[in-house]
Amino acid sequence: MAILIDQNTRMVIQGITGREAQMVVDHTLAYGTRIYAGVTPGKGGQNVLGVPVYDTVWEAVKKQNVNASLVVVPPAFALDAVLEAIDNGIKLIVVTTENIPQLDSVRMLYEARKKNVVIIGPNTVGIINPKDKVKMGSIGGDRPERCFVPGNVGVISRSGGMTAETSWMVKRAGFGVTTSVGIGGDSFIGSTIKDLLALFEEDKETKAVVTFSEPGTSFEEDAAQFLKEGGFTKPLVSYVAGRFTESMPEGTVFGHAGAMISGNTGRPSLKMKALQDAGAHVIERYDDVISVLKTVLGERVGGVK
Amino acid sequence: MGRMLENASKKLLKENGIPAPNHWVIHKSDEIQALHLKKPCVLKALVPVGKRGKAGAIKFADSVHEAQEKTEELLKMTVRNYEVNSVLLEEKLEIAEEWYISITIDPQKQMPVIIATTEGGVEVEDLVKEAPEKVVIYHVEPFSKLYSYQAKEIWSKLGVTGKPLIQATTVLCGLYDTFLKYDCYILEINPLVLTKDQQVMAAASVMGIDDSALFRQPELAGLVESGSERSWRPLTELEKAMVQVNDADYRGTARYTEMDGGSIGFMCGGGGGSLLSFDALTFLGAQPANYTETGGNPSEEKVYGLTKGILSKEGVKGLFVAHNITNNTQIDVMARGIVKAVQELGVKLDEFPIVVREAGVNDEEGKRVFESAGITYYGEEVTIEQAAAEMVKKMEGVI
Repeated sequence: MAILIDQNTRMVIQGITGREAQMVVDHTLAYGTRIYAGVTPGKGGQNVLGVPVYDTVWEAVKKQNVNASLVVVPPAFALDAVLEAIDNGIKLIVVTTENIPQLDSVRMLYEARKKNVVIIGPNTVGIINPKDKVKMGSIGGDRPERCFVPGNVGVISRSGGMTAETSWMVKRAGFGVTTSVGIGGDSFIGSTIKDLLALFEEDKETKAVVTFSEPGTSFEEDAAQFLKEGGFTKPLVSYVAGRFTESMPEGTVFGHAGAMISGNTGRPSLKMKALQDAGAHVIERYDDVISVLKTVLGERVGGVK
Repeated sequence: MGRMLENASKKLLKENGIPAPNHWVIHKSDEIQALHLKKPCVLKALVPVGKRGKAGAIKFADSVHEAQEKTEELLKMTVRNYEVNSVLLEEKLEIAEEWYISITIDPQKQMPVIIATTEGGVEVEDLVKEAPEKVVIYHVEPFSKLYSYQAKEIWSKLGVTGKPLIQATTVLCGLYDTFLKYDCYILEINPLVLTKDQQVMAAASVMGIDDSALFRQPELAGLVESGSERSWRPLTELEKAMVQVNDADYRGTARYTEMDGGSIGFMCGGGGGSLLSFDALTFLGAQPANYTETGGNPSEEKVYGLTKGILSKEGVKGLFVAHNITNNTQIDVMARGIVKAVQELGVKLDEFPIVVREAGVNDEEGKRVFESAGITYYGEEVTIEQAAAEMVKKMEGVI
């Protein structure tokens, strides 16, 4: 088991013929993940490495019965692409596009909430489930197995690169992942840490979760509240990067667009305290992921397969 | 995110039917003439920062002479690290009441939100806590405009009635249209003034534009300094040069922020990996001389230009290069860019430590390029924090 994606995922890529999508398609097929369809207006009838291309999501749904969409379109077209997917009944949409206008993000997220659609991103590296060899997005690059091996840990990260690095730390500790999710670095994103913890709670194979956080937003405070309410009961190992930013003048952004401190909102030290108070294993040093995971999981679960 | 100067935002507001006082931009005090002083005036430093009143950067004058004197005072000022190069001269309004409006996007509810109060001259954040009944917080459906009845309700709840209610309703609808039209992330009118002759006017405006949306806002070209809210002060010369390096090639990103002092040149990525790397160095007591985040598969030329920039800062005595395991950034391309800059600058590696921790796409070739140039290279077998510790250790020998 895993969360979000598995063997039943039938992926369509919106924007499949674009420059950004080329490498993703190549790496995804090489990994063994099937891509059922692509959509690019005006390019219906073509194919990309054997994947049939349609003009509309409507047609992709009708012909290929797709149920999840990877959106790889330029910022100006992202809102329309997401609305099209929602309107055609797609319930999981992974939005990789970076630099989407805020108002467009807010609109797509609003529509998704109304229709109970799960959005990962925008500005996400994607999701991977190594046991089923299913990935959506550029996650893992040309060698996903290097960082992502099957196991019992869930990974949630604000940062795409740190999704890989953190999953690799899990591997180094002798474990593997059920699912690793890059939630995206923007201020306005769909699924937050709390939303994914709720899914990992339900997933029997996931025995612990590791999160990588950054300054900005209240996602960690919300997750802490969720822990306190008993919504997530498995071990949670949390690292919050960017503590140095607290000593910089307010309003300065380092790293991702969403990484901005405003007043007390977004301060890494307060996030760490909230998570700690809620019972999470908050680590001071990132390398401690390894020792803490070994301690909390011990021999209860199998190592790398 | 980019802020606009007040003269620009006022001009846009007026073009969109929002009443605002007449204004002029003054660069030298002798530009002020009788025509500017038909009424008493307000003089404001034109800098892209808020709370200018508290900083003493807003002054009043009743005569040409007085306005000239005060303009000269303002032009000598630096307001929150920004030199004052010009002054906004406005007709002073005859104020009956001072109100407040802001339109932003609520990060929690992920919806546009209007915050309104008729209690002027106070910090609205404090008022929300102390007297919430005096503030209306109103969320707007993201696909919708603001309807008149909604704006009317907001003001009516605050006790506005009669002719001012009609006026304020029109003004608020106009402000909301403006917020959507220009892809603002903030539009704040503080104060929104009710004049003695019952007009509702925008006395001071703050308008910030979402720079991700500038592609569809050609009208705003040149009015918004893209990314200006990423920093707490104007860009330094080196930072400006690095913006050029970044803009010269669309591939990859390269951001450079200069720190005060510091001895370690810092070249890391991506968004999260660079935060972790900076934390790792500072926890060990080391001082990076800059913050650089690079990633997204930059070209060799971009990496080369960025490396040269990082090493050009005075006091830099070593270089730390680290990334999380990359998904798409090619390590061999990074390596060639860095090595080219290092060799061109004639860096002596025995007195100028360079530690690299790069793993990911094409890292075998990257390792070869770094090592054949004599640079200490670590791959995925070493963590970012372990590499940072090695960097700090090596620096002890040169400081």
